[in-house]
Amino acid sequence: MKEIKLPILPVTSVGSFPKPDYLVKARNQYAKGLISYSTLHELELKATEEVIRMQEEIGVDVLVHGEMERGDMATYFAENLEGFTISGLVRSYGNRYYKKPIVIGKVKRTKPITVDMFKFAQSLTKKPVKGMLTGPYTIADWSFNEYYDNKRDLVLDLAEIINQEALDLEKAGALFVQIDEPAVPTHPEEIDIAKEAFKIATRGLRSFIITHICYGDFRPIWKDVVNFPVHQFDLEFTNNYDKLYPLIESFGFPKEKFVGLGVVDVHSHRIESVEEIKDRIRTALKYFRPEQIFVDPDCGLKTRTWEEARAKMENIVKAVAEIREELIKEGYPSEITIKLGD
Amino acid sequence: MIITVVDHYPKIPNPPREAKLRKAIHAYDQGKISKEELERVFDEVTKEVIEEQISAGVELITDGQIRWEDGQSYIAKKLDGIEIGGLFRYFDNNTYYRQPVVVGKIKWREPIILEDWKRAQDFAKNVPVKAVLTGPYTLARLSRDEYYKSIAELSNAYTDALIEEVKLLDKEGVKYLQFNEPSILYYPEDFDLLVDIYNRIRRYFSGNLAIYTYFYTVLPLRKEISRLNIDTFGIDFVSRKENFEILRDFPKNLALGYGIVDARNTKLETPEQIKSLVEKALEYVPEERLFVNPSCGLEYLPRERAYEKLVNLAKGVNLVRGERR
Repeated sequence: MKEIKLPILPVTSVGSFPKPDYLVKARNQYAKGLISYSTLHELELKATEEVIRMQEEIGVDVLVHGEMERGDMATYFAENLEGFTISGLVRSYGNRYYKKPIVIGKVKRTKPITVDMFKFAQSLTKKPVKGMLTGPYTIADWSFNEYYDNKRDLVLDLAEIINQEALDLEKAGALFVQIDEPAVPTHPEEIDIAKEAFKIATRGLRSFIITHICYGDFRPIWKDVVNFPVHQFDLEFTNNYDKLYPLIESFGFPKEKFVGLGVVDVHSHRIESVEEIKDRIRTALKYFRPEQIFVDPDCGLKTRTWEEARAKMENIVKAVAEIREELIKEGYPSEITIKLGD
Repeated sequence: MIITVVDHYPKIPNPPREAKLRKAIHAYDQGKISKEELERVFDEVTKEVIEEQISAGVELITDGQIRWEDGQSYIAKKLDGIEIGGLFRYFDNNTYYRQPVVVGKIKWREPIILEDWKRAQDFAKNVPVKAVLTGPYTLARLSRDEYYKSIAELSNAYTDALIEEVKLLDKEGVKYLQFNEPSILYYPEDFDLLVDIYNRIRRYFSGNLAIYTYFYTVLPLRKEISRLNIDTFGIDFVSRKENFEILRDFPKNLALGYGIVDARNTKLETPEQIKSLVEKALEYVPEERLFVNPSCGLEYLPRERAYEKLVNLAKGVNLVRGERR
């Protein structure tokens, strides 16, 4: 049995941080064949170190490595698996484009994908760093499929791959493993496939399992999703509070599970004030016990500038510090203890 | 039969062709080029995508919605009473739109697509360009309402505003006008409201009035569609295979927008596959009431693949035509 001690209302973030300008430039040069992979990779490591230092300076409790080596969260995995090729550019919104995976054969993992970067990031800090994975349903749903006759077969093959990857992350020392499934709420009719896949992906894991699910209409699947085998659901309570709270009121939220409480909008340049963030936490405290809550942004911060990302995280830490004091005055313990099974 | 498309077309090609629109928008955002220069690029790219559609064999085209950042904000930002809010997922796609936030009375302020349509029709010469708008019901469903009291009130407010645009389009000589209403499939219980909305719009448009739906099942509406006072109803037969069941009782008073090319997957349909799907429809719907098109807008695909899909669509339809002559 392992125990993790964290301050009450631990501050974390969802996953991605903005890439520094020099890395954006290097990625473009690498794509054009102007620099070598090792030159690019040096810069990815440099940027990862900066992301870790920034989070330590601000006072974040559970860190992320920032995903400096990843472009799109589904495409990155596809790039490192057999059975995939990568498409030309498609638009995601505004003037943003990404390359989407195309499944052209049976999908297979030939080597660990995320472990080296996790180890490197964890070696830089004493605070826990999350192992970051994209869920099997989401990788499948966000890929073009020219090979599998039915989606379930593709999703389940990917689930085995993500499971191997998660087990490797644990072996490398990850106490927190996050498996994001943002595509799940978009296909309520396929919830059984997503559920089956998630069970496979988390089979045999002993770490603190988190899933981040965003941008969806949870109404038809809430009862299924809250029973996913995870410790924490990370949800966007800033952009979607008006849909999430009524659901929690009607259908409840499991008492034994943790919530990742999104308290800032990641798609807006505006820096939310400390007071605003405190209000959002206070609202959440009407629905959750304080010991259940982790506080973070609504989603990954990669679309913000470095300064905006930092300012948003700083205000979260300040707001949390003030609420913590109030909670301690009310008699709550200053720490929470998470017990993980063997 | 008419070969057509649903609405948008990929805005940028892949290398070695130049992504000039992406560059121009980026330069404009950084203050490096003027609004006029950006507009010039919008026009250039519109012209390109019109030429691509025509060369693929499409007979009723669109302007490709090259200026649209998404289906909602392009309209909402030209209406009073609405602010542009946060980023939301567009149905089940890994594609996003900015949510219109309705904070006051919605009012039409200025032409929305009138100038776009005029220029596109100019570029397309004798090939007809259809005017496409997101429908009032779907606009209402995809908005955050902080002013009106119900979805009916909000939809009606959007309808009033868009009717001002419809009047202008009608006056300008638009022959095909299409409203996209994917949201109605997710709330079939609101169908009466949709009927009312289009009864009102009908009064102001004398050409072919279409509603297109996509992404979801249409079966709960199978007995209801005939109540719509429109000319064409579009259905996505790719995302939901069960939609084929509707062919046998598709209403006699409407033309069908037959969405059979998968606009959301790169797997390429062959002309023979298209041919057999068209023949299947012709068992139930006569030629003169059939529009054949992709399942939805083409922006979910890389530009080159979208083009190849249109080429095969046209080839497939022409195979059928060849055999029937």
